[in-house]
Amino acid sequence: MSNVNAITFTIVVVLFVIVTGVGFGAARWRRAGGSMLHLDEWGLAGRGFGAFITWFLLGGDLYTAYTFIAVPALVFGSGSIGFFAVSYTIMVFPITLIFLPRLWSVCRAKGYVTPADFIRGRYGSRGLALAAALTGIIALMPYIALQLVGIQAVLTVMGVGTSSTNTYVKDLPLFVAFLVLAIFTYVSGLRAPALIAFIKDTLIYLFVIVAVFYIPTRLGGWGNIFTTAQTHFNSISPTTGKPVGTFIPTSKSIGSTQFDFASLALGSAVALFLYPHAITGTLAAKRRSAIKRNMIYLPMYSVLLALIALFGYMAVADPTTAANVKKAGNAQLAVPYLFQHMFPSWFTGIAFAGIIIGALVPAAIMSIAAANLFTKNIFTEFFKPDADPALQTRVSQGASLVVKLGALLFAVELPHTFSINLQLLGGIWILQLAPMLIGGLFTRWFDRWALLTGWLAGMIYGTIAAYNVSNATASHWAGSSDIVFGHSIYIGLTAVIINLVIAVVLSLVFRAAKVPQGADETLPGEYTADPGEAPAKVPADVST
Amino acid sequence: MTEASARKRSAVAAHPITSAAIVILVAAAIVGTLWVPFYASVTPKVGDFPFFYFYLLIFMPITSVLLWLVTQLQKRLTGKALGTAGGQR
Repeated sequence: MSNVNAITFTIVVVLFVIVTGVGFGAARWRRAGGSMLHLDEWGLAGRGFGAFITWFLLGGDLYTAYTFIAVPALVFGSGSIGFFAVSYTIMVFPITLIFLPRLWSVCRAKGYVTPADFIRGRYGSRGLALAAALTGIIALMPYIALQLVGIQAVLTVMGVGTSSTNTYVKDLPLFVAFLVLAIFTYVSGLRAPALIAFIKDTLIYLFVIVAVFYIPTRLGGWGNIFTTAQTHFNSISPTTGKPVGTFIPTSKSIGSTQFDFASLALGSAVALFLYPHAITGTLAAKRRSAIKRNMIYLPMYSVLLALIALFGYMAVADPTTAANVKKAGNAQLAVPYLFQHMFPSWFTGIAFAGIIIGALVPAAIMSIAAANLFTKNIFTEFFKPDADPALQTRVSQGASLVVKLGALLFAVELPHTFSINLQLLGGIWILQLAPMLIGGLFTRWFDRWALLTGWLAGMIYGTIAAYNVSNATASHWAGSSDIVFGHSIYIGLTAVIINLVIAVVLSLVFRAAKVPQGADETLPGEYTADPGEAPAKVPADVST
Repeated sequence: MTEASARKRSAVAAHPITSAAIVILVAAAIVGTLWVPFYASVTPKVGDFPFFYFYLLIFMPITSVLLWLVTQLQKRLTGKALGTAGGQR
């Protein structure tokens, strides 16, 4: 810890302590006497959030270390392909508007807490619900791991940590951050991240807006940043003999990236609101209209994402930052190094704290969602059907710790040339829920066994394809796209197409063979109901 | 088939133009950035921003406006449907 800047370090620690304090205090926030030992309370904060808090909560879900570390790292390393994330955060809202209000309504009408609850009720199939729950838990682990890698990147640039070759000693700060996260989530449940989201967003808006106006003036203006980036990415790399990257997605034979760009954006956009944590954030909303209104406001948040992605180009245009990142051999350090070089140390401290907290909040929400899945759809369903709410909550609290440990394993073990691949790996898995979940919101035509077979095929294909991607530095798990019919395409999208085709074909076969379809406990009217506006207790579909 | 869903279906059938407008607006918001060849070019530059980057930035407020229009149209659709149901009673 020789080159630690005392001012930066102190500010980060102080802000971190404040946030932790708020997290502990949150246990008592907005609670109208209900016991904390109930899953609706611990896991959904009493389902009482309006449009405004929902906005912060979903924002906290969506803008994470993915945004601040992983996307600029990809932009820094490969150029325009990293902007698929911008395209993704635009098209995610129209896509989500199509199905999310229906999911909110049916979950509210039936009291579902997790996506797997809905699958079970819709198809009358415990097996399918188990598949959905397992997928959610597995897919969240690499996504949480990405948050830990983001925190690690900031701590590395701060100079925290030792140069020991032992992984576990070197990553000590990572384990400390992990521990704090684990403890306050355990105590406060979903209330902690919702309240901290306010602090986080204030910090983030502050440093992003300052950075966007200030840094270009130090680098000769936007014109110079773009020109430098264009020259850099068009230059030929001496090691590969190909261009370093692409400044604009290209359709030419040299590194065609348009198809890759579009498939990554579309796959990520469909995947986002299949994640249990995004659904958790949604279900905490009080009204159906709060969801719809958020789909209108949240694209404004994407402006922020686009500006943050451009930090990648600023890092290219700043010779000192570019040299530092190259020396460390880790593109994830691009934004932290850029801030450290451009800002006075006190402001760097604020920005670093913002990034760290911006990783902690979603990590907490994700681990709570995964824990809810385990408790509701695996523990209670298969092991202890008579578990009382207090026991369920305790199991959830324990499970959230286990999930975080799993994530830690992903963070330590998988290669992080580009940490964005952790999120894309999760996306490959979670996308396999699309036919049963999105399909099920609109039609009961799919056969449950057909869906299960399609899901299995998609999971197996996706996992093997992702495992087989290699590059110069890693032999496995090195990327998220492979070549199909001569085009580079996101594996998640290929896998879900395979999944869907199998589900359709087998549904035709099973329906022709008159295979029993199982009970559907939902009613058509419940998909459009808004119980928030009607008196409670009245069944949703008798409003006329 | 419950009354509520029957009512919704008839609302779509009774107002084909409003329903089609909703579909078109949502599709436009999705395809706008999905169709990469449409905006993958350096020129025309807007200020210092190459077109590709400018387009991505400007499409965010556009998406907000499109989705706002969609929710307004949906409100009209359900509002009219309720009115029709009331009239039939």
